[in-house]
Amino acid sequence: MSTLLTADMIRKWAPVLVLIGLVLLFTTINPHFFSLRNFARITISSTPALMVAVGVTFVILMGSIDLSMEGTIAVCAVLFALILNIFGGSISGIGWLAIPGALLAGAFLGAVNGIVHVQLKIPSFMASLSLGFIGIGLSLLITGGNRILIDDPVFRSLLTFRIMGFPLMVYAALLCLMVAWFIQDDTVIGRNFYAVGGGEDLARASGLNVGRLRIIGFTLAGIFYALGAIFAVARLGIAETETGRNFMFTSITSVVVGGTALRGGSGGVWSTLVGVLIVNVIGNGMVVTGLPDYFQDGVLGILVIFAVYLSTDRRSLSFIK
Amino acid sequence: MSFIKNYLERQICERRQFLLLSAYGLGGMAVSSALKTKTARAAVQNPKIAWSYRDRTNPYWNSIVAGGDAFVRSLGRPSDSLINLINEGSSEKSLADIKSLLSRYGSQVALAADPNDMPNCRPVVEAVCSAGAYISTIWNKTDDLHPWDFGDNYVSHMTWSDVGPSEQTARVLFDAMGGKGGVVHLGGIASNNPAIERLQGLKNALKSYPNIELLAVQAADWDTQKANQVMSGFLTRYGDAVKGVHCASDTMAYGVIEALRAEAIEGMPIVSYDGNPQAVGLVAQGKLLATVFTNPYWGGGITAALAYYAATGVFKPSSEPKEHREFYGPATLVTTKDASEFKSKYIDSNPEYDWKSLWSFTSGPIKYKS
Amino acid sequence: MFELRNVEKRYPGVHVLKGVDFSVGDGEIVGLVGENGAGKSTLMKIIYGAVQHDAGDVLVDGENVHFRNPRDAMKRGIGMVYQEQSLIPNLTVMENIFLGFEEPFVYFGSINWRKMAAAARKQLEKVKLNISPSTLTSKLTFAQRQLVELAKVLTLEERTEGKLVILLDEPTSVLSKEEIDLLFTLVKELRRRASFIFVSHRLDEIIELSDRIYVLKDGVVVDTIDGETANAADIQKKMVGRDIHSQYYREDRQSSFDKNNVLLELEHVTIAGRGNDVSLALHAGEVIALLGVEGSGREPILRTIFGMQKPEKGTIKIRGEPVNAFSAARSVAHGIAYVPRERKIEGIASGMNVFENMTLSQMKNYSWGGILKVPSERALARDWIHRLSVKVPSENTDCGNLSGGNQQKVVLAKWRSGGSDIILLDHPTRGLDIGAKEDVYDMIRDMSQDGVGIILVADTLEEAIGLSHTIAVIRDGEIRQWFTCLPGSKPSPFDLIQHMV
Repeated sequence: MSTLLTADMIRKWAPVLVLIGLVLLFTTINPHFFSLRNFARITISSTPALMVAVGVTFVILMGSIDLSMEGTIAVCAVLFALILNIFGGSISGIGWLAIPGALLAGAFLGAVNGIVHVQLKIPSFMASLSLGFIGIGLSLLITGGNRILIDDPVFRSLLTFRIMGFPLMVYAALLCLMVAWFIQDDTVIGRNFYAVGGGEDLARASGLNVGRLRIIGFTLAGIFYALGAIFAVARLGIAETETGRNFMFTSITSVVVGGTALRGGSGGVWSTLVGVLIVNVIGNGMVVTGLPDYFQDGVLGILVIFAVYLSTDRRSLSFIK
Repeated sequence: MSFIKNYLERQICERRQFLLLSAYGLGGMAVSSALKTKTARAAVQNPKIAWSYRDRTNPYWNSIVAGGDAFVRSLGRPSDSLINLINEGSSEKSLADIKSLLSRYGSQVALAADPNDMPNCRPVVEAVCSAGAYISTIWNKTDDLHPWDFGDNYVSHMTWSDVGPSEQTARVLFDAMGGKGGVVHLGGIASNNPAIERLQGLKNALKSYPNIELLAVQAADWDTQKANQVMSGFLTRYGDAVKGVHCASDTMAYGVIEALRAEAIEGMPIVSYDGNPQAVGLVAQGKLLATVFTNPYWGGGITAALAYYAATGVFKPSSEPKEHREFYGPATLVTTKDASEFKSKYIDSNPEYDWKSLWSFTSGPIKYKS
Repeated sequence: MFELRNVEKRYPGVHVLKGVDFSVGDGEIVGLVGENGAGKSTLMKIIYGAVQHDAGDVLVDGENVHFRNPRDAMKRGIGMVYQEQSLIPNLTVMENIFLGFEEPFVYFGSINWRKMAAAARKQLEKVKLNISPSTLTSKLTFAQRQLVELAKVLTLEERTEGKLVILLDEPTSVLSKEEIDLLFTLVKELRRRASFIFVSHRLDEIIELSDRIYVLKDGVVVDTIDGETANAADIQKKMVGRDIHSQYYREDRQSSFDKNNVLLELEHVTIAGRGNDVSLALHAGEVIALLGVEGSGREPILRTIFGMQKPEKGTIKIRGEPVNAFSAARSVAHGIAYVPRERKIEGIASGMNVFENMTLSQMKNYSWGGILKVPSERALARDWIHRLSVKVPSENTDCGNLSGGNQQKVVLAKWRSGGSDIILLDHPTRGLDIGAKEDVYDMIRDMSQDGVGIILVADTLEEAIGLSHTIAVIRDGEIRQWFTCLPGSKPSPFDLIQHMV
């Protein structure tokens, strides 16, 4: 049993080891990589991705999948900017209403997603993919294809104001991560996510309302996408349809690389944090070490396969009856 | 929220138009082939005007269509009489849409089009010519395809050469750097022609600035967020050695500016390309040193105008010189000196163009490499 | 003649087989019994080539062989009839029979179906199965599938020179008595073609069929018993290594139930899609056993009571109150508990630990405003681990790693701790070893004493008789006969079977 346990430990900590290995590798190639300023840069680019990945983590924990994030982010980002600009253009005034506004929009889109998936019994893969397209269309409709600029210095202080070398948005994202952790570990909803992902029939036989739980999960994911959208706008000062671009691939990659199994029931938001950092360390490290950009996608691809291999291998390891 | 209403109305209208077209296209295919004629037709009275292009999600194509609209309105027609054929980046869709349009209206079409990719230009042009309609194209055309080989029906082709203007922005940048120090380049999708040309322009300029070092070239795929991350990476890799940034597009420059803002780095010289309204604004504020304005508004209007006036017989393309059939579009360098003036003239409002002055802003005949 | 000599197998940290000697003569039927974890499955895997032994010899007709995979074993005439049936449901019978061995029927890359069908028919004749070879496997009954599996293994006859050795792993677990008899007759007839190794939890069947019986305990063959003289109690003793409780089913603890306290009542209930009419009343402290062959309609009754199926007609009353809405959630709220047959699928969430599993059905008792009270969850788990002597290192252990018996204890603790007093048990002792079974029987008596009403679908006839106050014999979805089961005057299996078939 002891050897099995250590094998378990290795699997559990594999993503962290990968992260440490990558940091060491890039540091060896270019010592500048290992600096506070660079870590700040990595965390800045990780912040919106982390929120989105945490959102989809909840959905994946339930054994479903959500591909609507790009559309949801686009809508939330654009609505956020629109509301902010309508209400005076500053967070310090009544423009702060833009924050709950964006979160509500995210929750709404997530809920619609969940309801379509559960009530119409459409596989989450299809339902969310379609709703993602609808989201993109909606944001185009709102902006007419244009960009909305945010120049509010108070809001942009999320990026410009630094504490101990890291901008405010990093701390804000950590706070959100703590909330996600709390939801995951200390609430009935979080526990039920694991139960549904671990065995839907069991959850049903234990008297859980699985359909309602799914809808809650998608809604929660939508709220975190909205947070991701707000951070993305804070980072660039621009809200547009393109704001959501690339988030689908990077967030799901991060979740899987972090060690949350796509079949549901195992993993969590901390794994996702590690996954997001891995993906962003690679992105940053490739530029820092000056490797050609086409390697970047290749390495990321290999890494995903590696991670999925790690997370699906565990069943065959316990073959002693 | 009236803009939403307008947009919806326009979309619904286009949709209906297109559905009708497709439906008619199926039935009308046989008819069109029966009517097919190779001979150039006499002037058409009132041709339908159409624009075939990529999508509405980016400011560039938005400006192109706005120009097309302006031209249509100058004829006294309502702006929704301009038929939008959106190919969504698919050459197949582009060709199929144009064919349905032709089978609906036959020779009664004046078409402006970006054929999406170079090989698609020939089938599009051939379809239009065999229907006896008129077409003007922009951007994508193979080098062996020429308007003058098609009589009057292939009216013109306009493209933009980015090498020269990009070299100009590089010179502005190098001068601002005092002629020495390290520079980084953020490029578009590596296989895109404009990305290649804009990098070439930078390299050309480097020849006359021996003390400028090109530190790195990295593709950021025309994407703001990616450019932001790439710039952060450059800052780690080169630190203070980076003295200037050459961006292949405005959208990437925004990401660069924000990456610098996050680090509280001020006054870094940056140049970009495309002349988007936001970028021109940034030039006026001094946050960008220069960008290149390609005037898509005028391009969109004049391409439609060329097809329209050829179709209505206002001019006969085959009697025009070759530089009126194939030419470069306008490329104006916008710098901090003239940005404000430029902004009020071209960005805040669109000047009233004389759409009958067909070649007033062109920049000479297209030069092929070999 | 097939023989294992001094075979050893170790997995990391576990010594599974410790020098096992095992032999099968031509035409012999050899039984293999042992508790869960005794090493039975590993031994079988070594025999049919799925696992390689670490030391010792495997001999076929005196020749030392080494199987790298099941296909190697098949080449030497050793075939396996799997417990979880290995047929692919969306293929036809003949495709399944010749799966992986299609070459003889392939001409220029395409399969001659007619020839394959003829060959398949020949195989099906061997097992006396009169079905078309082009039937889709999913259309067959479990018993028919079992026979097709057997036919598939028997194709080895034509491909190998020596005699066959066929392993039957728990072949009777999903069969009715009738079907089991049929299978046994067939196996006895097939002895002239093959020898058999027969693995089962059911000792009576092993004794009935086998010439010799190997008893495996902790990776060692503790005894080899002649099938003629064997008796179940003796074998059990050897398997467990101690005397079995003289009161195996705890009949001494069976007390009378409260006739005035009706917990659950079904009045002329028609189960969806069955067109039947079921009425019953469950009292506090009563154990009702639903008895019938596989597919007689016992599980649908349980599922209907639990609210997972909506009845077509009739009323269900819980403590006198008629039920209007049907959902598992509602039933749980009304104190109904369901311990399903498929523990892995519907009983235990592997990946979740002991306390998380225990509180899953009663989270509102362990949360406040949606926020969990983890310390009280832990306290509850520790309490029940102690009460039921669940063998776990701590309440944080992943339930997926527990033995079947301990998992079942966790499942029962989950419902009991939540205050459920109507408990539906579907095969609660399936796959458990004897010690764990006895624990479950004790728990059933404990619950009875606490006034819990239990509806039981038992694993064996004897279990049903031993545990219940009342037996309902079910055939074709209807309750055909009621029996009262007072200690001392219990009906005999013979009485019951007459009504079952």
